Amino acid sequence: MAVLKPKRKDPNGKLEPTARDPAALQEARVVVAVTGASSFLGQNLIASFEEDPAIDRVVAIDIKQPASGKKTRFYEVDLTQTAAEARLAEIFAAERVGTLVHLAFQASPSHATAYAHELESVGTMHVLVGARHGRLRKVVMASSTLLYGAHPSNPNFLGEHQPLRATKRESFFTNKIEAEAELARFVERSPETVVTVLRTAPILGPTVSSFLTKFLSQRVIMTMMGFDPLVQFIHELDAIAAFKLAVDRDAPGTFNICADGVLPISTAIRLAGRISLPVPHPIAEPLGTALWMAQLTPAPSTFLPYLRFLCVADGARAKDVMGFRPAFTTREALLDFARAERLREVKLLSEVY
Amino acid sequence: MEPVKRKPRAKPKPRAPRAPKKSASVIVSAPPAPPTTPVLRERNEEVDDFGYDPAYDARMTPFFDFLYERYFRVECRGIVNVPTDGRCMLVANHSGTIPFDGPMLRTAVKREHPGKRDVRWLAEDFVFHFPFLGSFETRIGAVRACQENAERLLRHETLVAVFPEGTKGIGKLFRERYKLQRFGRNGFVRLALRTQAPIVPVAIIGAEETNPMLMRLEALAKPFGIPYFPVTATFPLLGPLGLLPAPTKWRIIFGEPIPMDKHHPEREGDETLVARIAERVRDAIQSMIDAALRERKSVIFG
Repeated sequence: MAVLKPKRKDPNGKLEPTARDPAALQEARVVVAVTGASSFLGQNLIASFEEDPAIDRVVAIDIKQPASGKKTRFYEVDLTQTAAEARLAEIFAAERVGTLVHLAFQASPSHATAYAHELESVGTMHVLVGARHGRLRKVVMASSTLLYGAHPSNPNFLGEHQPLRATKRESFFTNKIEAEAELARFVERSPETVVTVLRTAPILGPTVSSFLTKFLSQRVIMTMMGFDPLVQFIHELDAIAAFKLAVDRDAPGTFNICADGVLPISTAIRLAGRISLPVPHPIAEPLGTALWMAQLTPAPSTFLPYLRFLCVADGARAKDVMGFRPAFTTREALLDFARAERLREVKLLSEVY
Repeated sequence: MEPVKRKPRAKPKPRAPRAPKKSASVIVSAPPAPPTTPVLRERNEEVDDFGYDPAYDARMTPFFDFLYERYFRVECRGIVNVPTDGRCMLVANHSGTIPFDGPMLRTAVKREHPGKRDVRWLAEDFVFHFPFLGSFETRIGAVRACQENAERLLRHETLVAVFPEGTKGIGKLFRERYKLQRFGRNGFVRLALRTQAPIVPVAIIGAEETNPMLMRLEALAKPFGIPYFPVTATFPLLGPLGLLPAPTKWRIIFGEPIPMDKHHPEREGDETLVARIAERVRDAIQSMIDAALRERKSVIFG
């Protein structure tokens, strides 16, 4: 009887875990599907589902098989294909999936912009059509606080109600903004589904890999002369915990998932043990573009505003409504990353992913 | 290892930052230093939510103290009107082409107030577009002026200084001196009502004459990304040196607080009430300015 699970810790008990819902008990099986299962968040989330007795089965969807345990069943589905809609609806029905965690997004900007668009924007559309046909109880989607955009007119803490103003010139942002718009349409059409969007701050930690970790592991980091914006991160464990929490509890809406505290970017670079090279911002733009085209930087010049202006989110809503408490501050997340990075440099820690 | 051992005994003032830096780079798996101790350098290691950097500010304090004490010889009156604790909004006139009034107002409260309260002042947007200026102001405690920021500060029981005239205040010509400009959209009153923060009107006299602006060049403002390009008696004639403020005698006068708790927070939507309070604040500041100007004999000597 896997359903009668031991009582789980509930920090403030505002929201009941789904598994104790009468409806969920009636179904008697809790099945969670994860798209983008081979991503960093996907693999770790599946690992935490494997350990959770309240979850009976995990359906992993990706084009690459993730490392997983015996609860997990893998389906190879390419979300960029039109046939994916029908295929996903089939899988959701056959496996009686209740909750979908949609993580099929790229963690770093890519040179293959057409594929990124197909995967993130169109792929989300396919996933959500499948979800509507599969009559899912809940959809949890990953997003990013970078989508608010870095602007000098930003308030110091961006709430969830703020418009997503990231530059239209960068498909890394526009695809994700389109995916969120796609999800908003889904919410309108299927009001009975609980829909949660988690906008995570840039994820840092000992094992995660993204454009940000590559940026912070450069020996010399280009910064914008005369600008020292405040930055904010989230530790990888906190990010995983946030998604787990969103699966366990019903918290419809959009939430910023970010660590407490901010750091000036100059301090962040020093804490990571790197040297910053201040460049006047009018020069940085063409320089960044050239370096990106030569594949020498982890991010194109459209990311430069984040080195000049504020883009810090307010995590109060996730705390109050969802009961999410990050364990690491921005500084601790960065230091944890920097320590692992130092070990990697002296070859005491090998790349896991 | 020897010098590290010897240092704390030999030095009367322990310079802690040095030692952890060395060990951190040598021992790879060293446990992290507790966040309160500066690890790498003393500069901007710990900042608050709005980027205020106490260590950096402490280094700038002598400079602002010099300006306050010797250069502008600020005379501060009515400091008892600033509450000793809880949220409060200081509403002041804005002037001087290069606004020194924010930092001076803050220095005044820090030095003269019995509670040594810290003031966070709200700075115009254009400051944060600018290289160096934006990050400097952020470190010494300025916050970008917007409703969200001000509300957050007030909800944390901070003393917030507001200059509702905004760029119209600092960008006015010399012949318009000491005439209060339009108060934006009275957002500060709505904010005070919403957060129930009392308003203390503040008059700053002397700042108008620091850089008397004779002309505004609108055509040059845009390419420089500033709201106005000032032409003063000395700028741009003498180059950047011409922006040095004149050593005028300043007075900072704190008026009677205007309490907000007799109005319901939901009345922030009541335009007539908002306009009435704004007018009351405006009258209070203008009459304090006028009285102080009548009393003043000399711009430089007071």
